[in-house]
Amino acid sequence: MSTIVKEKVGYVGRAMKRVEDPRLLKGLATYVDDLRLPGMLHAVVVRSPHAHARVRRVDGAAARALAGVAGVFSGADLNAHCGTVPCAASMPDLKAPKHTVLASDRVYFVGHPVAVVVAATPYAAVDAAEAVQVEYEPLPVVVDAEKALEKGSPLTHPDLGTNVAFTWHLAGGDIDAAFKNADRVVRQRMYHQRLTPMAIEPRGCVASFDRGSGTLTLWTSTQIPHLVRTLLPGMIGIAENKLRVVAPEVGGGFGSKLNLYVEEAICSYLAMRLGAPVKWIERRRENAAATIHGRDQIGDYEVAVSNDGTILGLRNRTIADLGSYLQLLTPAIPTLTGLVLTGSYKIPAVRMDVIGVYTHKMAADAYRGAGRPEATYLIERLMDLVAGETGQDPIELRRRHFPKPQEFPFPTATGLTYDSGDYDAALRKAMELARWDELVGRREARRRDGGLFGIGVSTYVEICGMGPSKAMMAGGWEWGCVRIEMSAKVTVITGATPHGQGQETSFAQIAADRLGVPIDDIVVLHGDTSIAHYGRDTYGSRATAVGGGALVMCIDRVVDKAKRLAAHLLGARPEQVEFQEGRFSLKGGAGRDLGWTDLAAEAYVAKNLPAGFEPGLEASAFFEPENFTFPFGTHICAVDLDRETGKVTIVKYVAVDDCGNQMNPLLIEGQLQGGIAQSIGQALFERTVYDENGQLLTGEFTDYALPRAEDIPEYAMGATVTPTTANPLGVKGVGEAGTIGATPAIANAVIDALRPLGVKHLDMPLTPEKIWRAINRR
Amino acid sequence: MKLTGTYRLAAPPARVFAALVDPDVLQRCIEGAERLVRTADDQYDVHLRLGIGTVKGAYVGTVRLTDQQPPDRFTLHVEGKGAPGFVRGSARIQLTAAGAGTVAICDADGQVGGVVSAVGSRLLDATARMLMDRFFERLGAEVR
Repeated sequence: MSTIVKEKVGYVGRAMKRVEDPRLLKGLATYVDDLRLPGMLHAVVVRSPHAHARVRRVDGAAARALAGVAGVFSGADLNAHCGTVPCAASMPDLKAPKHTVLASDRVYFVGHPVAVVVAATPYAAVDAAEAVQVEYEPLPVVVDAEKALEKGSPLTHPDLGTNVAFTWHLAGGDIDAAFKNADRVVRQRMYHQRLTPMAIEPRGCVASFDRGSGTLTLWTSTQIPHLVRTLLPGMIGIAENKLRVVAPEVGGGFGSKLNLYVEEAICSYLAMRLGAPVKWIERRRENAAATIHGRDQIGDYEVAVSNDGTILGLRNRTIADLGSYLQLLTPAIPTLTGLVLTGSYKIPAVRMDVIGVYTHKMAADAYRGAGRPEATYLIERLMDLVAGETGQDPIELRRRHFPKPQEFPFPTATGLTYDSGDYDAALRKAMELARWDELVGRREARRRDGGLFGIGVSTYVEICGMGPSKAMMAGGWEWGCVRIEMSAKVTVITGATPHGQGQETSFAQIAADRLGVPIDDIVVLHGDTSIAHYGRDTYGSRATAVGGGALVMCIDRVVDKAKRLAAHLLGARPEQVEFQEGRFSLKGGAGRDLGWTDLAAEAYVAKNLPAGFEPGLEASAFFEPENFTFPFGTHICAVDLDRETGKVTIVKYVAVDDCGNQMNPLLIEGQLQGGIAQSIGQALFERTVYDENGQLLTGEFTDYALPRAEDIPEYAMGATVTPTTANPLGVKGVGEAGTIGATPAIANAVIDALRPLGVKHLDMPLTPEKIWRAINRR
Repeated sequence: MKLTGTYRLAAPPARVFAALVDPDVLQRCIEGAERLVRTADDQYDVHLRLGIGTVKGAYVGTVRLTDQQPPDRFTLHVEGKGAPGFVRGSARIQLTAAGAGTVAICDADGQVGGVVSAVGSRLLDATARMLMDRFFERLGAEVR
């Protein structure tokens, strides 16, 4: 076939529909639960109903006697064979409990796995799990992280002798001088509530062991098949090269699947032990109790301000409620908060003291934004508080603290170097889209009529493109491969493991443009460690920023190799060959040209190759980014509150985001739309609640208030484009920006609406009840 | 979770008390008690089938009577566990003669855990109230 480019206009930058969507919309996608293997057994986990208890006895006799039951296993049966759950974040003074796959003699949270039942059908397994008798002796419980620090508090892990998991400090600039020279100190205590990620598809996995070859395949609903392949061998003792991990279609992760969970190790081990495939599918109630939670920080924040309104310094003491165990990145989350603590502002001095605290709850870990939503919320709330207390306009206060475009790369007091930015341009554009003056006029008019109308702004910056390897425990590079097949079809492989972000589309756009091939000739593969041999997967908005870098390197290498072959076939030297829109010709335009079809055939038939030329046309590459990327933007939200009920109506939402060069604006808009919806959830509705006995009260959608379609307004969206130099595509990443930038804009709007009543601050979620109480002072 | 209730019964305290310590009567009065087997003085094994909110399930546990001061008062303890979690509660029941009948004041304290707490908590108070009302309604019918 011909390789003449059908589209003269490039694919990159166009709002192309996702190639992933037809299979998803038609029900043709394969999720873990769609897998059916011959002889497959079904596992169900027996979980603790107590937040803290001694496990006196686990009796599986009645369960074992039921029809179809292949085995009942307690901690005594499995823990010696399954190692401990790894945590990839370290702290000098970190005290870590031994995190076995099943409880040994104690349980530490409601939902703690105590036993596993394996049976021929899921129904038999559920029935048998109910027949497992566990005797508990309830023990004192601590659920409040502040109380956990008090003398005499019950201990989450009595063997650790303390509830303090670690302390962490960040300091930059002269903080003591800042507060000494301050004319005024603005103080606020803020609580960043615990959230439940609630991916549409709960977790699940299928493990299958091939006894002949001794290889194990684990299909798991994960964001990180490569990290699972790196870490699981240490738990179950299989060689890394005998383990294949596959992430099939994944129905949402948001960080909750950026983890290695006990069930993955249990199913893998049992598949080997029982010689049969073992499937485990998490139920919604288990998902709420035993998949990681997010956020959960409480802090006292202080801003040193001079009389002319200049911010001199920012300090805080933050308590991070970790729950009872460390999952993969648990201790690292508050450190990300610290790194972007100063937001998009020139704040010369900063100090943050973090105490990580154990409580009898599920572990907290990365949830979309992971530490940055906390930082952005607190700095954007503080900007409004400073503006209010110093009588400044919140917009002007922000503006005067922005670094100017020519000041980039901009070093922050927290030790980062922001790559590029024009914060004022995004702010101006957002104000324009919001019709700022008109909006302010509307607020004044509503207030005159006794209405409660507020406008909130967030001029955020965040950290993406994670990240340079020196900052990442397991390396922060990404791997890719580009292969021109013998038929000249193109196979792109990425280690970045997209799971909903749309890189099957955007990577095809990039490759089509750079190789000069029709986009339909490209297939993008990912998520299987036997295909994408190495990778660091998707989290921290890194897939395009870092994975795209590897893609560009591969394309450059393939094109270079093809040039050498073309030169040989055209009787010229490689440097005389020009590559344009999929054609290789001699510079000056004379003579014949060659396309990918000609070159691919020659490269694989290998009868007429230049001396020393390796057959085939493929290249792989590891891309190492030189820095993080720092996307930014301005979100503006306007709300109208119902005085009678406290209900919030978002009457306007404007988002202007700068994620660097845009590969596909439709994908970017999709990421932002979803992210802002999750922000609305956090700002107005969501909170994970444990009662004083450590009982989880928000265990299902009836009790955990996710926003619904009717709660999501129409967004006016815009963009500015400030490319980064951290990667060859100039992209910054956008997977988390909506969740990071939007929450404070909404909270600021609600509190602005209540300002005439003297309200300065309310903690999220800003539920009708909380607002009603604020209005009625009750 | 704590709740109290006051109920009027059309029989004197002695008769009410006798009914309350009779396992057959107890089984008929405790909502969802499918089986009540005496295991010791004032102690019974109980099989309960209960729905709390959307969580329906079977619980196995014990019923104990303590602090008996006939015909004035006693304390009833119920404890059960099952797939939906656990339920645990005690009720102090005070009987006072009122005319030809009895006024019963019930002071109950309960705790649930596990799934039943995670998905039924908002309905728990209402369910507990309903269970208590039903208990005394049935008891009233028993002693009439």
